[in-house]
Amino acid sequence: MNGYGALAGKYLKQQKRRTLLTVVGILLSVALISALGTMGQSMKDNMVDQTIYDYGAYHIGYGEATPELLETLRHHALIKEAGAIRKGALTELAKGYKLELAEATTAGFELAPIHLLKGRFPSAAGEAVVEEWALAQLPGAPGLGGKTELVKPDGTKQAYTIVGILNNQRLNMTYGTGAAYAWMDDAAAMADVPGTRLSAAAIFKRGVDISAHLAEFEKLSPKSFGTNTQLLALKGETADSRLNLSLIVIFSVLIGLVVLSTIAVIYNAFNIAVLERMRHFGLLRTIGATPSQLRGIVFREAGLLALYGIPAGLLVGYGGLWLVLKAMSAAGFSILTFDGFRLTLHAWIIVGSAIVGLLAVLLAAWLPARKASRVSPVDAVRGTGNIVRESYRRVRLPSVLRLLGIEGDMASKNIRRNRSKFRITAFSIVVSITLFIVFHYFAQEAFKVAVNDSRDDQVAFQMLSSFTQTANGNQAGTSPAAVDAFDAQTIADIKALPGVEHVYGRYNMPDAQIYLPSAKLNGEYLSKMGDDVFAKSTLDGKEIRIVPAYTTLYDDERMKQAEPYLIAGTADPAKLSATNGVLIVQQVKPLVIAENKKINLDLSDLKVGDALTLNFGTQEKPLMREVRVGGILSQAPFNPTVLDTQLYVIGTKATYAALLKDVPIETAPNDTALRGLDIALADGADGAPVKQALQRMADQDPSIRLVDFVEEQRQTRQFNLQMKIFIYGFLGVIGLIGSLNIVNTVQTNLMLRRREFGLLQAVGMTLSQLRRMATLEGVWFGVIGAFWGLLLGVGISFLLYRQMNNVEGIPFTFPVTGAVISCVFALGVGLLSVQGPLRKIAKASVVEELREEA
Amino acid sequence: MIHLMNVIEAAGLSKSYGKDSTLVEALKNVTFSIPQGEFVAIVGASGSGKSTLLHLLGGLDRPTGGAVRIDGEDLYALKESQRAVFRRRKIGFIFQSYNLIPVLNVEENITLPLLLDHRQPDKAYVRELIDTLGLGERRKHLPSELSGGQQQRVAIGRALAYRPAIVLADEPTGNLDSANGREVLELLKLAVRQFHQTVVIISHDMNVAAEADRVLRMQDGRLVSDSRGGVVQ
Repeated sequence: MNGYGALAGKYLKQQKRRTLLTVVGILLSVALISALGTMGQSMKDNMVDQTIYDYGAYHIGYGEATPELLETLRHHALIKEAGAIRKGALTELAKGYKLELAEATTAGFELAPIHLLKGRFPSAAGEAVVEEWALAQLPGAPGLGGKTELVKPDGTKQAYTIVGILNNQRLNMTYGTGAAYAWMDDAAAMADVPGTRLSAAAIFKRGVDISAHLAEFEKLSPKSFGTNTQLLALKGETADSRLNLSLIVIFSVLIGLVVLSTIAVIYNAFNIAVLERMRHFGLLRTIGATPSQLRGIVFREAGLLALYGIPAGLLVGYGGLWLVLKAMSAAGFSILTFDGFRLTLHAWIIVGSAIVGLLAVLLAAWLPARKASRVSPVDAVRGTGNIVRESYRRVRLPSVLRLLGIEGDMASKNIRRNRSKFRITAFSIVVSITLFIVFHYFAQEAFKVAVNDSRDDQVAFQMLSSFTQTANGNQAGTSPAAVDAFDAQTIADIKALPGVEHVYGRYNMPDAQIYLPSAKLNGEYLSKMGDDVFAKSTLDGKEIRIVPAYTTLYDDERMKQAEPYLIAGTADPAKLSATNGVLIVQQVKPLVIAENKKINLDLSDLKVGDALTLNFGTQEKPLMREVRVGGILSQAPFNPTVLDTQLYVIGTKATYAALLKDVPIETAPNDTALRGLDIALADGADGAPVKQALQRMADQDPSIRLVDFVEEQRQTRQFNLQMKIFIYGFLGVIGLIGSLNIVNTVQTNLMLRRREFGLLQAVGMTLSQLRRMATLEGVWFGVIGAFWGLLLGVGISFLLYRQMNNVEGIPFTFPVTGAVISCVFALGVGLLSVQGPLRKIAKASVVEELREEA
Repeated sequence: MIHLMNVIEAAGLSKSYGKDSTLVEALKNVTFSIPQGEFVAIVGASGSGKSTLLHLLGGLDRPTGGAVRIDGEDLYALKESQRAVFRRRKIGFIFQSYNLIPVLNVEENITLPLLLDHRQPDKAYVRELIDTLGLGERRKHLPSELSGGQQQRVAIGRALAYRPAIVLADEPTGNLDSANGREVLELLKLAVRQFHQTVVIISHDMNVAAEADRVLRMQDGRLVSDSRGGVVQ
């Protein structure tokens, strides 16, 4: 031993179990802090990457640019790079498919969201890249390196070499128009080509305060100006910085709570370690240790624990994340739908977590250190007696515990006899419960925001009849008499394919307007959206508003999926058909200009049984029909794009057949005929054989197209699963920290009183009475902690909700699950944690306990 | 007898606990002085104020009135931390219940006061001390591996490690059998002779009082007699 400071290490070595417990506490906290920080930062980094992937890297763009505008952008002092894309004529392919060849400058390729699957981007005239699925539709189905003739934007034809293949785009597949790009030089972009549309995009130089200059660039072409809103928002470059601020507040609150619980865990560990050694500290005082030397010993212990706990925590935090991500990639997952999710090791997070961890440890050690330094040497050498001076106080408040006999009476006195000890114990438990509730709430809400809950993610394939192009405006009115595109036998065949779970019909319904009595409109909606959001009119002398309807026909198979979303009424197709009933979704999520965010609102106050007047004609030539509200859904089970100013009107085939009777064919060309199929696969089913079978069917009928969503669907599901893994992983660690804290606290309380327990036994308290008393204390601390933890947890959750509400308008829901789990957990842990010390007490002899140096 | 310089001077020392109805006067106006190299025993019934007096002499507690001078230094004029430093350099304590640090071995326990002063112990002296105490074989043992007598010898070693001017012992033989008790007493007497240290010892044991150069008798917080070689002064 080279100095008295080595005492610290010796104590730690002797108290192996407690040292381990404390190190684990520090480790978990630091791991959690660093993992949280890293996840937050990585998610943001990857969100930026993903946004660039989805929307392009450009900052500002002009939908219609003139050569002069492009010139201005190119030479602007603030602009790093400006690119251009020219679009125009389409190439007609077989089966009604089309291909849109656009020409892009080199910078255009960089700034637009164009993604290569294979090969490279064109860099010379006569080279092109084509979307993968569209390539197969080209004559001769050329591959990479193949040649094909395509229509240029100006309408002329040119031969191209395929130098790259692009990723498939869902929308392009549904509409049957593939994308292709060829290269043009900057001079070509400057030419004025009639019949084509030139768009320009630009990126600012590094360090430019983008938000300050947006107005200036908007002036160049106000009508076609647009920004890459998502990307700018993520970079904190929108006029409204709430997104970033909210993220910071949310993560700060979460990390703050973790730090608080770390302090509680470590404080407790130190407190007991110091209290148990008060005599030794007193003794050191008698042989001449100064108070600051004693403080030094305690702080040195804290430092030693931090020395092991913090690096281990960083290692576990990063290692854990890395392992999880590695395991996920190994299992073929793409992380959180981000292609190539990178776990970025930011130095500031490592250093920050270490500093936060160290500060928490030192802060936690502060009070015990002070206590150690203030010990009276006289008390230490007096030989007998309790060195831990407790200020006892009488409890006046009656407690329910008193109803439980002498043990309960004593337990209630014990709990409250020392104000500061009571507060510390309760504080630890409260922090643990609060932490859990808040985390659980946050995780749940984040999950809701991130994951769209609908039945769509099961749909892996679509079979579409190419005569349903009316929506795109290509083949309007040319359809023959409305006949089902698929017969019952085909549907049965598809259903029989192994792995296929559902086959849903697709129908094209005509547009309609709802003549909604003004009184049935939701007042809040109207006040937020403005009174003029819907046109006013009168019907039968009453004031009504004309609300657009989102008319949708559900077959029986789809109706079954509507069941879980039913708020009121029925989704039974037979009942709906019989009563002329429809399902409606009146919750919408419009952008409220005044608050600059999307908010969940009810558009109308319709009730089950209300009549709904629909107009399938125009205002001049109305075709009025009437239905009844048969059921109300919380959201549409399919295609849940939340509407802002429309009401879903979902009906059965029978209902719509009645509605569309006598509606002219120009308005409802498809009538209620089946126009396509959505094919949903069972979980884990192999899509490949199903695809082959469907492809064979499609090949037999020139009007049928097959759209493949398997990959997309797989990624969505993985995303949901990964979110769950992360959230429950975090919650697990939080739970562990919380329990560690409660166990530590309750045990501290008991172990410090072993002498007293010895006394109680000496005067005739039986072991079972003792057990009952201690158990009641543990449980009662759980009750008190649960009460305050619940209050605080819900309060902080609400605070977080307000922050998240800035990002995404959602209603506040009471965190029931988190509250129940944490409270039950706290009581359970309180109950279980007294058992260890009790066993120890039962084993020890009374005499030994009496002699025990307190 | 050669008149030596007084190493301990207590003047009008008093100590009381509590107040009003609960006021307990543990020590009432005690005055005496002890010259260097004397072996003094303080005797008295339990509750007579012996331990309080010893604690005050060692600077562990604060007197309600009066002053203590050790080696000419007014103990209670010093600040708390200064007093702690003074204590580890000038005063060695020995207690009835040994009060060793359980995580340190024999050698470490003995050298602890030096380490607290950030000083490296004089190895030869420590070795000599440990050998003198008969603990040569037990140098690396923990207190829990020693007998009571051995533990008390370690405590004596710790008290002597810094070669303090005075050694204060509170019932050092109280927990020991008579053979071990005698041995401890011999060691303390040796300290007086060999290192010319001053030893103040509290004891119930009349054998201890008989071995002392001087006996101070306490009763109800007052010094009631002071005898040298059996002669009441």
